[in-house]
Amino acid sequence: MNYITFALGKGRLANKTLQLLEEIGITCEEMKDKTTRKLIFVNEELKLKFFLAKGPDVPTYVEYGAADIGVVGKDTIMEENRKCYEVLDLGFGKCRMCVCGPESSAELLKHHEMIRVATKYPHIAKDYFYNKKHQTVDIIKLNGSIELAPIVGLSEVIVDIVETGSTLRENGLMVLEEVCPLSARMIVNQVSMKMEAERINKLIRSIKERL
Amino acid sequence: MENKLIHTPEGVRDNYGDELKKKLKVCSTLKTLIGRYGYEDIKTPTFEFFDIFSGNIGTIPSRELYKFFDKEGNTLALRPDFTPSIARATAKYFTEETMPLRFCYVGSTFNNSTDYQGRLKENTEIGVELINDGSEDADVEMILMTVEALISCGLKDFQISIGNLEFFKGLCGEYGIDEENELLLREMINDKNYFGTRDILDSLEISDDVKDIFSRIPELFGGIDILKEAESYVSNGRAKDALKRLVSIYGMLEKNGVADYISFDLGMLSKYNYYTGIIFRAYTYGSGDAVIKGGRYDNLLSEFGKKAAAVGFCIRIDQLLSILERQKIDISLEKDESYLILYNSKNRGKAYEQASKIRKAGKRAVIMNETAYGKEKTELFAKDRGFTIIR
Repeated sequence: MNYITFALGKGRLANKTLQLLEEIGITCEEMKDKTTRKLIFVNEELKLKFFLAKGPDVPTYVEYGAADIGVVGKDTIMEENRKCYEVLDLGFGKCRMCVCGPESSAELLKHHEMIRVATKYPHIAKDYFYNKKHQTVDIIKLNGSIELAPIVGLSEVIVDIVETGSTLRENGLMVLEEVCPLSARMIVNQVSMKMEAERINKLIRSIKERL
Repeated sequence: MENKLIHTPEGVRDNYGDELKKKLKVCSTLKTLIGRYGYEDIKTPTFEFFDIFSGNIGTIPSRELYKFFDKEGNTLALRPDFTPSIARATAKYFTEETMPLRFCYVGSTFNNSTDYQGRLKENTEIGVELINDGSEDADVEMILMTVEALISCGLKDFQISIGNLEFFKGLCGEYGIDEENELLLREMINDKNYFGTRDILDSLEISDDVKDIFSRIPELFGGIDILKEAESYVSNGRAKDALKRLVSIYGMLEKNGVADYISFDLGMLSKYNYYTGIIFRAYTYGSGDAVIKGGRYDNLLSEFGKKAAAVGFCIRIDQLLSILERQKIDISLEKDESYLILYNSKNRGKAYEQASKIRKAGKRAVIMNETAYGKEKTELFAKDRGFTIIR
């Protein structure tokens, strides 16, 4: 039997996923040791391997078949646009991708005006403005603290993930438009889905029953 | 060393030594096999007019084509795929021909994809096209060749997944799904996005039973039983015929003893409008993507003015080689008999005579001055390359 390898997005998503897997009887004791410096964890009994990766890298590992299954946010899947099967909405990690800015920027979204958009997600932002809103915009890629951009005058609006909206409010910004809802997804490599159909389908079914 | 000049651009590479020998060996094995099915070589230009590969005909987005201009200002493109070129050539040279045409090609395709993906932009492909034949036998022939091709390379553990676009199109027709939603559904089903499929269905005004049928499609993959289940969902001619054809193809493959490699996937719909009937992919361990892709494209030739059914597939050689390496399947290389003829100032003329004799006998001969590199180096050189030394 071949190993089935899971790539999990580091952080909360990974913890939630491990919890969910434990509920359906898949455990990985090795991973619970927080002090370990191991990169790959193995469950010999079930022939499973797990590793943690940075979120945006998870779809890459899965597309190339370096991992058979991945768990990662919808935002990452959309931004990376990799060829994988997206088989399950795991329901946790729920949040929204939104266009945000000061109230005064709301008007700029109405008239196809050329504006500047700061974001960590240039593909999602571009797809939304070009293909859905038909508005030509300048996209500025940032790597963190996106909320700063409209405050210091780098851009008129931002496209970012909104969970509670408290950071926005504290900085005088608000949600202007919703791009799409987000949550954690399970993705599967196309070849693995066929070569390991039985085991992967069984896994999908038992997770589905839990959700 | 002036090292700025030694690099190749991202996505292309040099081939040499044993690696190249293995590649050529695999190519010749496959070519021989295909030849035995009666396929004849065809060679089309490396670049053609952009229009040949764009619009309805194209299989890759036009921004991923290598484009350039000729002196008249026409837009040209390096071929990303052989099929449109061969369809064009067939429409041009075999306009009136109605009997089956079997073509085989080998060469590079070019895809100007994004950098840093670890993917080649120039790929070697071998493929076949069977034109003027819309029969089931043609479909069976494709699958048989696909199986034999993989076996001939030493692969044992692989799956050929077969679908039929007609099934999905038939269902859409039967339940009145409009074109826009058909496209959306097609994309979701093709990605096996179960909940995305359900979301689209929920937004449509169709009965719950129909929604249940469509939301089952992404899961309709597996053995022959899947076709039986699918049959219970359809009443209409087109989708039913699609299933019948698959069942009948399977029957023939079973008689040929290759049923073990076959599975079905009715949710395999390909994003491109290119394919019209059966569609198939070969999967194996060691690669994240299909190694052979093929299908029926009965409308493509009419883009070039010839009405003709056609079916074909293409084998991605570079990917196949990396799979063989990962699965530790050895490609045995025959060693030619080789001689290193060493001469000195007295017998130089004789050395040439001797070499010529050896070459005429179909063996390999290299001539070298025995003092040119020193005894030790010369002997090592001969040993490394498998030369027998003649003095």
